[in-house]
Amino acid sequence: MILIDLSESDGRPIYGRISDRIKFAIAGEVLRPGELAPSVRELSKQLVVNPNTVARAYRDLQAEGLLEPVRGTGLQVAAGALEKCRTARSVHVRERLRAAIDEARGTGLDPAEIEAILRDEWDKASAAESPAGKGDER
Amino acid sequence: MTTETDPRDAITIKDVSKFYRDQVALAGLSLSVPEGSVFGLLGENGAGKTTTLQILLGLIRADSGSARVLDLDPAKDGLEVRRRVGYVPELPALYDWMTVSEIGWFAAGFHPEPGVGPSAFQTRYADLIKSFDLPPRRKIKALSKGMRAKVSLSLALASAPPLLILDEPTSGLDTMVRREFLESMVDLAANGRTVLLSSHQIAEVERVASHVAFLHRGKLLLAEPLEDLKARTFLLAITFQSRDHATAPPTNLPLELIDAADAPRQAHWLVRARDRSACEAVRNLPGVESVSIESPRLEDIYVGYMRSRRPDPGPKASAVNVA
Repeated sequence: MILIDLSESDGRPIYGRISDRIKFAIAGEVLRPGELAPSVRELSKQLVVNPNTVARAYRDLQAEGLLEPVRGTGLQVAAGALEKCRTARSVHVRERLRAAIDEARGTGLDPAEIEAILRDEWDKASAAESPAGKGDER
Repeated sequence: MTTETDPRDAITIKDVSKFYRDQVALAGLSLSVPEGSVFGLLGENGAGKTTTLQILLGLIRADSGSARVLDLDPAKDGLEVRRRVGYVPELPALYDWMTVSEIGWFAAGFHPEPGVGPSAFQTRYADLIKSFDLPPRRKIKALSKGMRAKVSLSLALASAPPLLILDEPTSGLDTMVRREFLESMVDLAANGRTVLLSSHQIAEVERVASHVAFLHRGKLLLAEPLEDLKARTFLLAITFQSRDHATAPPTNLPLELIDAADAPRQAHWLVRARDRSACEAVRNLPGVESVSIESPRLEDIYVGYMRSRRPDPGPKASAVNVA
């Protein structure tokens, strides 16, 4: 069982957010190749979303070769999924930061000021997070 | 479109009207609820949601038109419909003087099953009240509102109905009880059952529903899979070069305007389009400085449809009032 958080809403459809979160779980090795992803039923109940929505996310993940069916018991993380999910994770972060930068520039604020804010917020975030960091489960 | 005898529809409503004295409650409503869907019926108070559900359950009669529920006619076989459909009313009417377990025993008498009689109902009811953490020996009158709602849901689910109808199931309930209601709906959907609910909790509907319908003054504004609705509705936030600008997309563009808001040099157009790229054409309109194309939440889509208050579900952009 893995825990997925859908709280952050960035206008992406729910199935897209679910498949993102599964990818990050794989990238962070919470879910490892060969391990079973939660069943549609389990995950839809946990997230309180329509089962079709979860099934759609799983179809997309299968189409990307990240999950594969395993003899009638469910879907397992595919062998090459770790690399692909790590790439997907950096792409996602890059896109989100890019969007934030575009938005900041769109306000007409001076670029130097934007950079100062960026550095300031980065320092604050680093200070708030314990040195142990996140993502390591054991 | 409604087809009369589609076996894949758990519910079909055809051209149903209902009047209360001179008040129109439903004005020619047609609607199909596919089997296995979680169907959210949305609309303001007085839009006709409860009237629709009560006609489907055979509790009131339509003045004209017809309905089929699980291949039964609720106007003729109301009792059988209510036996086969789980129903959670907005205000559950429960016998106050019974205990939680007694009311399950009492209801089981109405739900005998071939071979096993009422015991299957009672077993499922006992499991349900346990999972909802309800005290079996407590009298109904001593229960909180949330607990009463859970008793009502347990009674509705104990017959393992192929169709569950809920009338504003989560209104006035606390977050935890609402969560339990939503989990039950998701669980039913995972089992291929059909759920029809009316609700004002649009964010909840957005999560659990597979289909939605908007009702306005007894008429249907829209009914379709939620995924399609969300994939085809866009909010265009436009900045113009001058204060004197268009108040609607030109009619030659493949965009149907749902609602518009104007400000000097700015406009927000809520539109229906084939896809995002169909919206891109707006960038090339004369006088347009910038456009952002967003995917609105269900709540924004709903508000847009309600605000534009179209007199008929039919007309397109021309009938829309631009503020």
